[in-house]
Amino acid sequence: MPLINLPAFAGDLLADFERMETLRVDTPVIQPAEPFLDMAGEDLRRRIFLTQSETGESLCLRPEFTIPVCLRHIETATGTPQRYAYLGEVFRQRREGSSEFYQAGIEDLGEPDTARADARAVGDAMQVLANRLPGGRLKVTLGDQSVFEAVIAACGLPAGWQKRLIHAFGDPKQLQKLLAELADPKSAGVFGHEVERLAITGMLEDEDRLVAHIGQIMEATGYSTNASRSPRDIARRLKEKMELANTRLDKATLAVMREFLTLDLPLADAPAALFRFAAKSGLKIEAALSLFDGRVAALSRAGADIDLIRYRAAFGRPLDYYTGLVFEIEVEGMAAVLAGGGRFDRLLTLLGAREHIPAVGFSLWLDRIEQAVSAAGGAK
Amino acid sequence: MTVTIALPSKGRMKDDASAIFERAGMKIVAVGNDRSYRGRVEGWDEVEIAFLSASEISREIGSGSVDFGVTGEDLVREGLADADARVEFCARLGFGHADVVVAVPEIWYDVDTMADLGDVAADFRARHGRRLAIATKYWRLTQQFFSGSHGIQLYRIVESLGATEGAPASGSADIIVDITSTGSTLKANHLKILSDGVILRSEACLVRARKAAHAGDPVVDRIVAAVRAAL
Repeated sequence: MPLINLPAFAGDLLADFERMETLRVDTPVIQPAEPFLDMAGEDLRRRIFLTQSETGESLCLRPEFTIPVCLRHIETATGTPQRYAYLGEVFRQRREGSSEFYQAGIEDLGEPDTARADARAVGDAMQVLANRLPGGRLKVTLGDQSVFEAVIAACGLPAGWQKRLIHAFGDPKQLQKLLAELADPKSAGVFGHEVERLAITGMLEDEDRLVAHIGQIMEATGYSTNASRSPRDIARRLKEKMELANTRLDKATLAVMREFLTLDLPLADAPAALFRFAAKSGLKIEAALSLFDGRVAALSRAGADIDLIRYRAAFGRPLDYYTGLVFEIEVEGMAAVLAGGGRFDRLLTLLGAREHIPAVGFSLWLDRIEQAVSAAGGAK
Repeated sequence: MTVTIALPSKGRMKDDASAIFERAGMKIVAVGNDRSYRGRVEGWDEVEIAFLSASEISREIGSGSVDFGVTGEDLVREGLADADARVEFCARLGFGHADVVVAVPEIWYDVDTMADLGDVAADFRARHGRRLAIATKYWRLTQQFFSGSHGIQLYRIVESLGATEGAPASGSADIIVDITSTGSTLKANHLKILSDGVILRSEACLVRARKAAHAGDPVVDRIVAAVRAAL
C-alpha cells in the first residue's frame, strides 16, 4: 500500500537505521489490547482506540511500537542481542495534533554491555535527529532511575518507603507529596479498629499467630478459595505499614534527598558532581555511580556530542518496567519532545519472555520532526 | 423555544422528582395514558417532559438533545468527559443519595487508605503475576480518582454490570468501586470502605445542558428558580 502521507524524510531515516545495524520489522496495526493496558495502566484506555473481536477479545489500534516489537521478538524466539528498527503509523488520542501519526525508532534487545547499549540508544537518536535538522541545536535531557534508587536505599529508608518513592519517581507532584509525608509526623498511617484489637491481644507481635488468625477469618467468610492476597501477604504488609507509619526522616536526610532531586547540570559534569554529592552526604552509592560514569564514558567514545546533554536527577517515567536510563530530545526553539527513550529491562519478562532480556530503545515523533524541519526552512 | 426536561421514567426517582416539581408549581401530567413517555407541565406551555431511564438522561443532557434532566450526579460524571464544561448542576434535590466508594475486603487489615492501596497495587504484579483488578461499572470515575487524584496507575478494571460487591469473594476482582447508600450490602459481603475512599457523594440533581440558546431565555431561568424555591 503506497503511503502518500509518509514524511518526506522517511526513506533517509530508514537508510540511517540500516547503517545503524538494525533489522527493520513491521507489526500488525491491530493488536491485542491487554498487554498495553497491563503495562501502561488503565489510564491508557482513554487514549487508545479499542474494539472487540467477534469472540470478545479486546483489540486496539497499535498505540506504540515497543510492546509489539518485544512481543514479536518473544513469539519468534529470535536470539539476542538483536537491534530492531520500525517505522509506521500509531494511533492515540492526543490533546494536540492528529490522533494518527508516524513513529519510528530502534529497540535494542539483549545487549549485555548496558553502558554501550545505552550510549548507542542516545547517540543513534541524536544522530538521526541531527541528520534531519542539520541547522538545529538539540537539547537532550537524561535521567537515571537506578541512581535515584541507590540514593534512597543509601538513605536507610524502610523497604516500604523505598517502594513508594521509586514508584513515584518521574511524577514530581506525587514525589513531593511523599517527601512531605516523610517529614511531617502528623500524617501517620490509618489503622482500622480490628488492627487496634489485634494489637491489644499481642497478635501483631507474632506473625505466625496473625497469619493463622487471618486464615481462619478468610475461611469463615468464604474468601479463602479465591483470595488474591494470602494471609501471610496481609500480615507482612501490615508489619511493613507499621514501619511506614513510624518512619520519620530526620531533617538532614530529607535535605539530602531534596538536594539530590534538584541536581540539573551538563552531563559531562554530572559524574564528578554525583561523586562529590555522595561523599559530602555520606551515601554509599558507588556501584550505581560507576555504572552512570561508564555510560557517560561510552557516550563520549561513541562520538556523541555530550555538550548537548543535561542530566536531571528527578527526570524519570512512572512506569514500573523502566529501570535505568531515560532521555528526551528537543530542538532549541520548539517546545516539543521529538524523541524519547530509555531502558526497560523488566518489560520482556513482564510480557512473558522466559529469560531476563535487558532492553533499551527510543522512538521518534515524526509529525513533530516534520514541523521542526519545515520551521527550519525545509532543510533536510 | 420549547424547553425539554428529561425525568426518570419509573420507580422512586420518578415519584420523588414529580413531587419536587409539583411543589415548585410545575405539576406534571402524562400525555395520553399514565405509562406514556411524554408529559407536559400544567400552565407551562413552553415546557415538555420526556420520561427516560436514568442513564439515558445523562447521555441526552450531554448531547444537548434535552435542556434539563433529573438524574444522579454519579451517572452524569461517569457518562460525560468534562462534565462541568458541558452541563450545569443547578440544584441538588435531596433524594437518590448514593456514594461512589472504593471498597476492599475487610480482611485486608493493612489497607485502610488509598496510599495503602497504592502500595499493594505497586507490587501486585510481582507477587501475583497480574495487576490489581477492580470490579466496577464506573470506569471514568475510577480512573480519575486512582490515576488523577492518587497517582495509582497499576491496576486493571474488570467491567461489572451487576452484583459488583460479590466480585472479590468470587475471585473475579480484588476490590470494587461501586455505589452504596447505607453500606449494608458491602458489610454483608465483608467489604470495607477506605477512609479516604469516597469518590463522590452523589444525589439526584437538576442538571442543565450548557446550550448557547439558554442565555436570556426566561423559561430556563424560571424553571431553575422554581425548583430551587421548592427545596
